[in-house]
Amino acid sequence: MEPERFQELALAIEQELAKLIVGQRELVRSVLIALVAGGHVLLEGQPGLGKTVLVRSLADVLELGFARVQFTPDLMPADVTGTNIVTEDDAGRRRFEFQPGPLFTNLLLADEINRATPKTQSALLEAMQERQVTVGDRTRPLPRPFFVLATQNPIELEGTYPLPEAQLDRFLFKLLVPFPGPDDLAEIARRTTGVAEAELRPVAAGDDLSAMSTLAREVPVAEPVMQRAVRILLATHPERPEAPDDVRRYVRWGASPRGLQTLVLAGRIRALLEGRFNLALEDVEAVAAPALRHRIFLNFEADAAGVDTDRVVASVIEVSRGK
Amino acid sequence: MKPVRDLLGRVRARLLRDRALTWVANGAAAGAVLALAVEVAYRRWPLDPGWPALAACGAVGLVVAVAGWVFAWPSLPEVARVADARLGGRERLTTALQFATEGGWLYARQREDAAVFALDADLSALGPLSPPVKVLALAAVAAAAALVLALVPNAALQQLRQHRVEAAAQAQAADQVQQLVQQLGKGQPGADPARQQALTKELQKAATAARQAPDAQSAVAALSQAQASIRQLQDPTQGQKQDAAAGAGQQLAQNPDAAKAGQALASQDLRGASGELSKLAQNLPNLSAQQQQQLAQSLAQAAGAAGGDQKLQSALQQASQALQQGNVQAAQQALQAAAQEEQAAGAEDQFQGDVNQAVNGLQQAKQPLENAASGQQQGQSGQAGQQGQQGQQGQQPGQGQQGQQGQGQQGQAQGQGQGQGQGAGQGAGQGQGQGQGQGQGQGQGGTGSGGGSGGGTTKPAASNDKVYVTGQAQDTGGGQNQGSQPGVQNDLVPYQQVLADYRASALSQVDRADIPQQEQQLVQQYFSGLGQ
Repeated sequence: MEPERFQELALAIEQELAKLIVGQRELVRSVLIALVAGGHVLLEGQPGLGKTVLVRSLADVLELGFARVQFTPDLMPADVTGTNIVTEDDAGRRRFEFQPGPLFTNLLLADEINRATPKTQSALLEAMQERQVTVGDRTRPLPRPFFVLATQNPIELEGTYPLPEAQLDRFLFKLLVPFPGPDDLAEIARRTTGVAEAELRPVAAGDDLSAMSTLAREVPVAEPVMQRAVRILLATHPERPEAPDDVRRYVRWGASPRGLQTLVLAGRIRALLEGRFNLALEDVEAVAAPALRHRIFLNFEADAAGVDTDRVVASVIEVSRGK
Repeated sequence: MKPVRDLLGRVRARLLRDRALTWVANGAAAGAVLALAVEVAYRRWPLDPGWPALAACGAVGLVVAVAGWVFAWPSLPEVARVADARLGGRERLTTALQFATEGGWLYARQREDAAVFALDADLSALGPLSPPVKVLALAAVAAAAALVLALVPNAALQQLRQHRVEAAAQAQAADQVQQLVQQLGKGQPGADPARQQALTKELQKAATAARQAPDAQSAVAALSQAQASIRQLQDPTQGQKQDAAAGAGQQLAQNPDAAKAGQALASQDLRGASGELSKLAQNLPNLSAQQQQQLAQSLAQAAGAAGGDQKLQSALQQASQALQQGNVQAAQQALQAAAQEEQAAGAEDQFQGDVNQAVNGLQQAKQPLENAASGQQQGQSGQAGQQGQQGQQGQQPGQGQQGQQGQGQQGQAQGQGQGQGQGAGQGAGQGQGQGQGQGQGQGQGGTGSGGGSGGGTTKPAASNDKVYVTGQAQDTGGGQNQGSQPGVQNDLVPYQQVLADYRASALSQVDRADIPQQEQQLVQQYFSGLGQ
């Protein structure tokens, strides 16, 4: 795939999504980067901000299979992965037949994933990592591409099961869905209360995503840029000498090497989206927050002080610049 | 890649100019700060001359500037990073440079993208050259401070120079004394070896002491002490013996048979006189009875004139009596005894000449030391201590001491003086006195006075006397100032300080002029009264 085609497809996807998604350009771009990178996304935002619409629209635009699972406390793993059921054929013989769960799709929306029990969460997260499902004595691969876009509601946390740190690390990005501004709100009202409804047309397929991913992985990375990415990651660890004060004071654990992989890969995709053929420092810095905010674990002092991971990431970036 | 390399070349040239400016400022600051440190160090540990160290500071600054600039020579990757950062290249140049030879179409596209950026790059985005103002300000302040310190008088440096002058003077004085040792070490025929050795040993000790003395003043004291020791070798009756020999010679010269012996005695040619007396004794049997009687009368008259030398007088008297009694043999023996006495007197006369020469030589050796010490005193005038010493010719060598103190400091001084006679005769005198003064508080001073007395002898000058220098008052005053600030100028000068200067000047003047001794004493007493 030529870089121009890459940009063309990306622009087409964004423009098509813009028919339904008002504003949220950064969110859409970040989701697109995650899809090209082959990673899963954890979306966090208040109800009604268009998270489900976004994911469903993506499936429409990309000609991908789509499934949605509303996670609840009584959701069982088999409800997600599928299970063997007894069926009877025309000859009257009974046998077990695998009934695939909603995981067997290209694009899965795991709504309010933190409301399911850890057992069910683990079943999903294992499938995210391995891209296969084992039921009984048989392992079944998931369709390619396979993306999970999980959502979390930051409010109404009673009765929820926060995702363990190790499982959070399996998400490429954690994206915060901002509340729309006044203009965007007005536009949302205009679009959703009228007679006409926007119809999305598919502009890319799963193979396109695969080709885009391949191209992105060839983007050259200069050594100083790679070193900057490494410095950013190391600075999230409070025991490292290069860690800023915020990290030393508020961080319990720093980001894992997956964080560095995400910085570089997502940065490469962003470079292509920006029309460049090399990874730049600004690419790394731009993807640092979504790539690291769910990989940095704060301590109680941070909770007490109201410090969030975005502030810590900002401190880390500042320190990595050498200022 | 050519546009990329061209752009990097231009950016590198610009970086080199930037860094040249930076390192010139750094070098200037390093040199100036170092020079300031050197100037501060000179206040405690002076060097003379000091310009080599200051020149070294400049050289260090130059080395810092050049070496820093060379070591800061930017590599191409560094230039690329700077260009990307300042020109907004978003690492296009850095990446293109790193993968300049990499294959693959995406790398080629990236290089093309970098080349397009390089062609459109605007170097004005690098901004104007900005001199490091803070560093330059530091360099200027340090250089100004160093210059001020260089211009302000350095007391430690003055002391160092004075010490060198004194050391040179000490070496010169020691060499002079050493030459004297070699000159007098040969000895005179008939002289007492023990006394000759004592004289030589005393001079050698003086030479060593002058060379090893901590300062010129101590060297002067050591030489003065040597002079005093050598003067103990002088025979106080030498003049009387010479007078006796001269008187006897004048009487004998009137007798034709003893005229040669008489003339030799009168002219203080004692060894010649000894030979003539011996010849006269041998010739006695050849004289007629009348000639013997006339010689007996002359010998008696000579014996009467030789009262200052009892041995000579006794021998001449015995010879006269023996001739009057016709005992020629006894007269011969008496004349031989007189001849031996004059032989010994001649040797003693030579030794005394050596002693006097040694004393005068030491006095001359003291001259450069006194000049060096007086230089120190002048350099410290107006400060704490002064010291004066007066030695007077032959009659009243004396010593005065005065200490003064200013600015709440304590001062102490000490001096010695010595003089030697002149004129138709010779004289020597020695005396010592001490005084101390001490005071505290600003403008307050202490005074002290001292006096001494001495004696001397005179004799008529003879043709074969050795040459003696004109006696003069010696001023070996030296002062020490510890703790007070040099160059403190006040409109009001301490009274004691003025008095000491006037006293030293007046005593020096009356000593140089041909002023009677009593009048000189009056001047001394006047100033002593003022000091009290």
